[in-house]
Amino acid sequence: MKNNCSNPETSAARGKKRRREEEEEVGCSQAANEDECFSLQDELTFSDTSVALRIIRAQFPRIDQAASVPPFILQSQLYSSVSDRTQVDRELERLRRDKVVRVFKLNTGQNDHAVVFLDDYLNQVDRIAQRMEDKKHNDTEIFKWFKEHVLDSKLEPSIGHHELCTLLSLGGKVKDAHITLLINAGLLTRQLIDPDMYWFTIPSIGKLWKALLQGRKELLSLLKRKRHKEMFLSELEKKRLRYSPLDMRFHIRDLIGSAHLKIFQTTSGLVVRVSND
Amino acid sequence: MWQAIQARETGRTPCNSFANQLKSRRISSLQLCNRKDFVSPHRGAVNSLQVDLTEGRYLLSGASDGSAAVFDTQRATDSEASGLIEKHKCVFSVDKGHEHGHRFAVSSAVWYPIDTGLFVTGSFDHLIKVWDTNTAQAVVDFKMPGKVYRTAMSSLAMSHTLIAAGTEDVQVRLCDIASGAFSHTLSGHRDGVMSVEWSTSSEWVLYTGGCDGAIRFWDIRRAGCFRVLDQSVTQLGVRPPILKHSAVSTKVSAEKSSSGAKNRLKTLHTRPSVEKARQKRLHPGMLSTLDRATAHYGVVTGLKATNDGMYLLSAGKNKAVGYSIGCNTLLNFETGRLQTSKAIQMATSDDPALVFVPCMKTVKAFGMWSGRTTLMFRGHYESVNTCCFNSTDQELYTSGADRQILVWSPGGSVEGEMDQDEEAAEDKDNWSD
Repeated sequence: MKNNCSNPETSAARGKKRRREEEEEVGCSQAANEDECFSLQDELTFSDTSVALRIIRAQFPRIDQAASVPPFILQSQLYSSVSDRTQVDRELERLRRDKVVRVFKLNTGQNDHAVVFLDDYLNQVDRIAQRMEDKKHNDTEIFKWFKEHVLDSKLEPSIGHHELCTLLSLGGKVKDAHITLLINAGLLTRQLIDPDMYWFTIPSIGKLWKALLQGRKELLSLLKRKRHKEMFLSELEKKRLRYSPLDMRFHIRDLIGSAHLKIFQTTSGLVVRVSND
Repeated sequence: MWQAIQARETGRTPCNSFANQLKSRRISSLQLCNRKDFVSPHRGAVNSLQVDLTEGRYLLSGASDGSAAVFDTQRATDSEASGLIEKHKCVFSVDKGHEHGHRFAVSSAVWYPIDTGLFVTGSFDHLIKVWDTNTAQAVVDFKMPGKVYRTAMSSLAMSHTLIAAGTEDVQVRLCDIASGAFSHTLSGHRDGVMSVEWSTSSEWVLYTGGCDGAIRFWDIRRAGCFRVLDQSVTQLGVRPPILKHSAVSTKVSAEKSSSGAKNRLKTLHTRPSVEKARQKRLHPGMLSTLDRATAHYGVVTGLKATNDGMYLLSAGKNKAVGYSIGCNTLLNFETGRLQTSKAIQMATSDDPALVFVPCMKTVKAFGMWSGRTTLMFRGHYESVNTCCFNSTDQELYTSGADRQILVWSPGGSVEGEMDQDEEAAEDKDNWSD
């Protein structure tokens, strides 16, 4: 009898424990609710770039207004997750050439690059094409040509005007109005330094771009106001940023990778400090 | 240490590898030297340091107060603390008070590569002066159209004595000391040229890095640059890829880009209309001006060619990267933040293959093929502009905005190294409380 009573308890306890472990292993594929389950301390570094990419992508915050933005990972986040930067660069290059991911340059003024999985990006392009058709624009076959000819052959983050026209005309006759449509849809943008070159962009990234810049500033000022300019990582994670819907983990990884913050191991856990170099 | 010498005596270690092992052990223990000190006469930030190429003995420095000074690194002028600390005062210095001195900051001071009888200084007062070392007089003056950012002379040159000058003007000029005139004008950059470096494998090849982010390779025997480095042309791994089909594809892309650019030129002159009919034919040497590839997204602040001539290291806004001939090797040195408005000077050492890069207030040494930080030198109070490695003595000289020239030398003395080995072989049972 005793055994019978205790068994359900222990089995229930064991069941809960196992579920918790499973959640930690899978790495929070169910985003927001399970945020409290594991902390950045356990999952700061990974051994491999593709593992890091997948797990950081899974941790991308689910924001409702920006539901149309594909999850992107900043290159500085990769640098903070894998210890050898040269290895990150080379593996990212290999993934880019194998057309698993695509790299975009963000115009934040610093050297920011965002990595997006190609499937997410193509889904996004399709959604935009659908939306343009619903609005009864003409010339929506430009998106199909863009996807088939340009995205397939041009893997760099920028493209020249002439090359763009050449590649698009493999699908059909290209007019200037087509390129305007692509720019309006948010897939291309002109470069400021050179009127003839375009950058590829992640569509509707404007809100998140602003959130990125403001969140960085806010996090750095939060730490700089402390007396010794440092804080425990576990405490820092629990804070919420006022100006950025992107969560704290995103910004912490990004700032560590761009050398604004340093991480130390102490006897009571990891400490984050503003770097003074 | 004694065992290593015995191995060399008996022939187990060849002489070269014995010397190399010793050098690498010394280089990996570099630290701030407490035995040697340079008394710097400069009253402004030091912008340039160079050890002479013939003997490796004299150090030339140029500073922002318009002064240039020469130090003897091997013989001290006097000593303090009963002979333990050697003070090296400058052998001579030329500054604003000198009748031929520069009026504004000296941005670059280099030795004449053949002997130490001449040295060349370039300054923000638009002049490049060639000085005679023994009499400390300016022998030749070259007037430039803009502030001189960097001057360089080729260490391999057998048939020319050209000074390459990078200024805030878009053209790179080559000045000839023998005739006193400009021999070449190299056009192609779209903004000022901040870093100039001669190749270490050919006396005719010049590398320039501009404020527009482009790095161009020039062969001075023909017109135009023959390569523009593009950061998106990458290679995986240390060796460049075998160029079977890529030769064809680069030709094709060159044609495409040139014809596309000709179209663009046409639209500048007439109504915008899309293709054909070249209106303006460009000289084949000028075709490279149409190539707008960039190696960095910002200003290229420093260039250094490795001694074997196969790789070029370049420093830009927040990155220092290595380029093989033509391809980005994707070597990412974890530099953190680098200063962007001033040119920096990097140094390389051969045997442990290290690159020394000044990053704000510290100088970091990176393994050349791994990109990891191996050593970090903290000692300056303000940002470091320049570093110079003396391979004959395995010493690193660094200097920057705090006007001090610091010496980093291998820690410990040779006697200390020998004693350490002896102690290790002692009897460990021979102890008492």
